[in-house]
This record gives sequence, structure tokens and C-alpha cells, in this order.
Amino acid sequence: MSAITLTSSDGIEMSVDRTTAERSVLIKNMLDDLGDSGDAVPLPNVNEAVLKKVIEWCEHHKNDAPSASDDDDNRRKTTDIDEWDQKFMQVDQEMLFEIILAANYLDIKALLDVGCKTVANMIKGKSPEEIRKTFNIQNDFTPEEEDQIRRENEWAEDR
Amino acid sequence: MPKRRRDDEPDLPPKRFRNDGKSTDRLSSLSNELLLHILSFLSVSSLNVCQRLSRRFQTLGGDSELWKRQYYSQWVQPRARRLANSRRTTLPTKVDYSPRVATWFDHGHLAHEGNWKRQYRLRHNWSRGLCRVTEVEFPEPPCPPTLVRFCAGIVFTVESARGLRAWTATDPARCLASISLSSPDSPVTPTALAVSHAHGKVEISVGMGNGHISLFLLDLQTSKLELQSSYSAGNGTITAMALSTSYLLVVSQYKNLILYKLHNDSHQAGGSSGAAVPRQLASLKADNIVAPMTLSLRVSQSEIIATIVYSFFHIGCGWSLGIQELRLGKDGQQLGSRLATTVDSQYGVRPSQALQSGKRHSAAEPDHIQSTPSAPFILHQQPPTSMSYSHPYLLTSHADNTLTMYLVVSTADNLFVQGGRRLWGHTSSVSAVQVTKRGKAVSVSSRGDEIRIWELETAISSLGTRKAPKEEHGIPLSTGSRHEPEPALPRTLYESLNSTDRETSPLSKMQDCVGFDEERVLLLRERGVGTQLLECYDFT
Repeated sequence: MSAITLTSSDGIEMSVDRTTAERSVLIKNMLDDLGDSGDAVPLPNVNEAVLKKVIEWCEHHKNDAPSASDDDDNRRKTTDIDEWDQKFMQVDQEMLFEIILAANYLDIKALLDVGCKTVANMIKGKSPEEIRKTFNIQNDFTPEEEDQIRRENEWAEDR
Repeated sequence: MPKRRRDDEPDLPPKRFRNDGKSTDRLSSLSNELLLHILSFLSVSSLNVCQRLSRRFQTLGGDSELWKRQYYSQWVQPRARRLANSRRTTLPTKVDYSPRVATWFDHGHLAHEGNWKRQYRLRHNWSRGLCRVTEVEFPEPPCPPTLVRFCAGIVFTVESARGLRAWTATDPARCLASISLSSPDSPVTPTALAVSHAHGKVEISVGMGNGHISLFLLDLQTSKLELQSSYSAGNGTITAMALSTSYLLVVSQYKNLILYKLHNDSHQAGGSSGAAVPRQLASLKADNIVAPMTLSLRVSQSEIIATIVYSFFHIGCGWSLGIQELRLGKDGQQLGSRLATTVDSQYGVRPSQALQSGKRHSAAEPDHIQSTPSAPFILHQQPPTSMSYSHPYLLTSHADNTLTMYLVVSTADNLFVQGGRRLWGHTSSVSAVQVTKRGKAVSVSSRGDEIRIWELETAISSLGTRKAPKEEHGIPLSTGSRHEPEPALPRTLYESLNSTDRETSPLSKMQDCVGFDEERVLLLRERGVGTQLLECYDFT
């Protein structure tokens, strides 16, 4: 099992198992293109802390069937997250969004989904005011506009 | 797997290098693409909540692709599964979500529709019976009978005093165009009305009591309504008409059935009156026609299929329906005629048995196979109050508070009626029913105070199985709260148990008083003495 080296945005080098690192489509493609040169792979968009976290996730999921369910609809039907992932995602919001960004950048679909589901779960069942508070979202509607949008969207609320 | 357990310590505390998470909006700093990804995991109600967060979320939460997916999983997929189970249909093997909507069986008509949220909402409202009601009182009490048709978002009313008028369904208070019926000296009574929509124009044909037929054309762009031609069929009162782009089928009092070819393929401006007269293609005489009857016209590449559905009394099972299908060539030559009745269906005989086509017969359901049923399970002692046929659905309404639904199967070699089912739900006599070919039906009780909408497709899939359905598919719409000061207010319309103390005479021809399309239901009903009310149920 060959190991490769990744370089985070803040210049820290990390040695990772190649199969683990190849959970990232970005890294996989880079390695395929570069060949086994042994050079460190630079990741200018991911800092050390986030990279560690991402590697931790990849390490745990390295034996998963490659994109087990690409069935878009089934994947979306549920926001259930497996237990380990749930614990993994118990981080502060900053880290959560950093992970999402890193997963997006590194092209790790499953991790991106876990991150997005975590955020979706934070939105679910809340009132707009609660959601705004959770994420510090600026309400840029005038009261009249807000009222109108509320009325427009009332129809599905009795679910 | 124990291996997973010890793999990592998940409780690794995250390093907090900056602790400004409390004040910045990290969610909104994500790209649209990522936000949409997050939103794609949300339910419909959460999406609606998200749209209320901020302007950005309003746009993102209304994203058409998100709603298309929701539409798919809510309406398309369950249906595809149901159809696959009912094994009488052969379906494309995979009906998966795809950005190309045309692959969704029977939802192809939505392919050109841009706003999927709107589509979802429309479907949702239909399924729940949620709509907004607007009422328009006719400015002047028109003399009955008033006939109403609804086509391409335009309501057409015709009556002897005020002629033919066109109204927009979105704003029923505004009359788009009006034209008086011909011959001002001798008042004419309109007796039949048919409309057909093609290429931005609506053809309207009005049949009169004196055997005259007038053809009108409404240009949807300019709202110009003009008389195309008027002539006498000379065969007494026109009792029924069916219009399908450039063909007109007419039945008159003297039991004549005439098929006309309209001129509209030649488009010279102000065409000469000679060219404007429809050409008579075929004329047939019937021995006996019992009202109510309904006509339908299907035009295919090579032939015209004219269908006449009529009721007759059958000794064994009361009032039954006969369906005659006339196949005519484009020039009126008769290619064939075939007949089917609902009698077998009323006895619960499966069409496969009735036709003795062994190959269709399946032994999988032995409990349905009976040698000779002793009594029909659908028995009507009174003739149907109205009927509506839109291939393949045939519906009749009855005074006994029920509707009966049949499925007409018309293949190259066979015409037969499959299954019959009663639809329950109305709490008073049903006097009118209308069905469209997409399997949506609207029925109205005799006083017009109870409206039900039906999704026939779900009912069809359980056809043939005699098991009583657990739940009916009719959704009641209440027209209650007539004293509502602001009729434009959205209202939730549920259980239609409004007491009706009003004493009104049932409209003579209710069937001509109801119409609907994908978005709205229109109903013309009497209110008090001499006034009529046009009600618009808007599901958008």
C-alpha cells in the first residue's frame, strides 16, 4: 500500500494511504495524471485542521463501495445520516461549512452529501426566524414583502 | 463491524482557530450550487420556509429543478410504481428521474412548462381540494338556458339574449369579447355549444333550436371574436355537437348525425362566404336516440373516429350505455362501425371472458372468474343524469348520489368496455360530470352546491378487482360561505357539509354548466330567482 503526501494550504505535509486519499476524485485524478512521482500533492484550498478532519472521514470510509448509491432520488429521500457520520459532524458551524467546501473542492460526493444533510437537518422543522438565528442570515425583506411571501408559501405548511 | 469501532476516536474536539462563527452568515457565503445541494435534501414545506429567509433564499428555494425533482418523487414515481404493479399496462421499464421530463410517462405535456414550483403547487392543490373561489354574477339575468364551455383559459357562454361571450378565467369579471347570435328579428335559442382550440385560435360552434349552426372564431392574441359562417342544417334542434380541429359532428333532434369538414385549412383573409360553409362529409340517420347522449370526435392521421355514447334500458341490468364508434375516412367514406355496451361490465364479466380471447385471460385471479353472475352489481333504475366521454374514460352521473366509471378500450380489432365502478362520495343527486382524457373528472350535485374532483387513474388501476376500495378518490370542494365579502380571498375548502336551505330548481342542463382545465374549475349555477353565478375555482 503506497502512501502519498498531501500539502495543506498552510504548508503542512501529511502522509496518507493512497486508497484513502483516492476517496477524493480530485486527488485521484491528479495522481492518475501525475503518475507515481512521489511528489507532494498541493491542496491550496484546504487548511490543516480541515484536511485532518477530511482525512479522518476518508480513513473511516475507505472501504465503502465506490459511490454505493448513485441513485439520486433514494439518496435525497432521506436526511438520515449514519451514526459515525453524525458524531463526525458534531463540530462548530465554521468547521461544518469548511468541511462542505473542502468536500466540494476535493470532490468527495459522499462527504459533501453528509455535510449538506447535516445543514438540511439544522433547517428542518424550524421557523424562518429560528433559521435566521441559527445561521445569522440577514433578513433583507421589507415587512410587506415578507408578509406577501409568507402568504404565497402557506399552501404547503399543513404537511 | 468491530473494526469500525476502534478505527478512530470521533470525539476529537475540533480546533477552533477563529471564533467569529456567531456573527457571520456562513450559510449564505456558500455558492448557489452548494446551497441548492443543501436545499435538495429538504421537504416541500421546508423549501417554502426557506424561501422566506431572504431574497437570495427566495430565489434559490424556488429553483425549478428542485421542484421538478419534488414533483417527480411526489407525483410521477408513485404513479409509475402503481402502473407497473397493475400489470395490464406495458410501460417503459425505467421511469427514473431525469431532467428530461418527456421520459415520465404521461407527464410529457409538462415538458414545456417552466415553473415547476407552480406545477407542484397546482397538483398539490388539486389533490387536496384547495382552491380560491371567485364568483361573478351575471350583470343581467340571462334567460336560460345558458351554455358554458371552457377552453384554453377562456370561458364561453352563450344564451339567446346576449349572444356568445368570451370571458377570461383569470379575471372572470372581464368580458373579453361578445357577439350576438344571428337573426336579430327572430330570437334563437342556443341548444348546443362546442369549442376547440388550435394554433392560438378557438373555434366555437353554436347549435340553435331552429337547426342553425353558427361558427365563430376567437383569436386569442387579439381577443377578436368573429362569425365565420352560419347556415342551417335544417334538421330541427341541434341536440349535441362535438368539435375537433376542422371537423364538426352534429346530432339533431331528428336523429340525424352529420359530420362536417370545416374550411379552416384555407386561410384567405375574409374568405368568401362560399368557402366558409362547412362541407358535409357524412350523414347518418339513427333509429332511436335516448337522451342523454354524448358525442366525441377523435381525429387521427388517416381517419376520424366519431363516438356516440347513449343510454338505453336493458331488462337485466337497468340503464346501460351503448358506445358506437364510427370510423370514417377523411372524405367521409365509412370505414366501419362497431358497438359495445356496458352490460357485461355491469354484470362484472371481465372483458377477456366476454370476448373469448383466451390469450388475454389470466388465471392469476380465480376469485373473479364466475360462470354466469346472477345479478348485475351495477344496476341503475333511472337513466343517467349526464355522461361524459373522453377517451378512454366514460363517466355517468346518477340521481342516486353516485357516478359510474367505465374504461373504454378501443384497439384496431376490438372495442369493449372494461370494468365498471361506482364512485361514491356525493351526498346528494349528481347531475353533471365532466372528464378529461388525463383522467381528471369534476362532478356537480344537482344544486351545484357540491363539487367533487376525481383522479380516475387511481381508480382505474383497481378496476376488475371487485374488492371495495378503502377510500374514494373524490375530493369535495365546498362552495360554502356564500356571504364572503371578498371572494378573492384564498380559502381552504374542505368537507362540503354546508346546509342548503336554499330552494332552487335544478338547472335543466347542468352538463353545459361545468367546465375545467388543468388549473381551474368553472361552474355556472343559479342563485335565487333568475340570477346566475359563474364560479371559478382556481387551483393555482
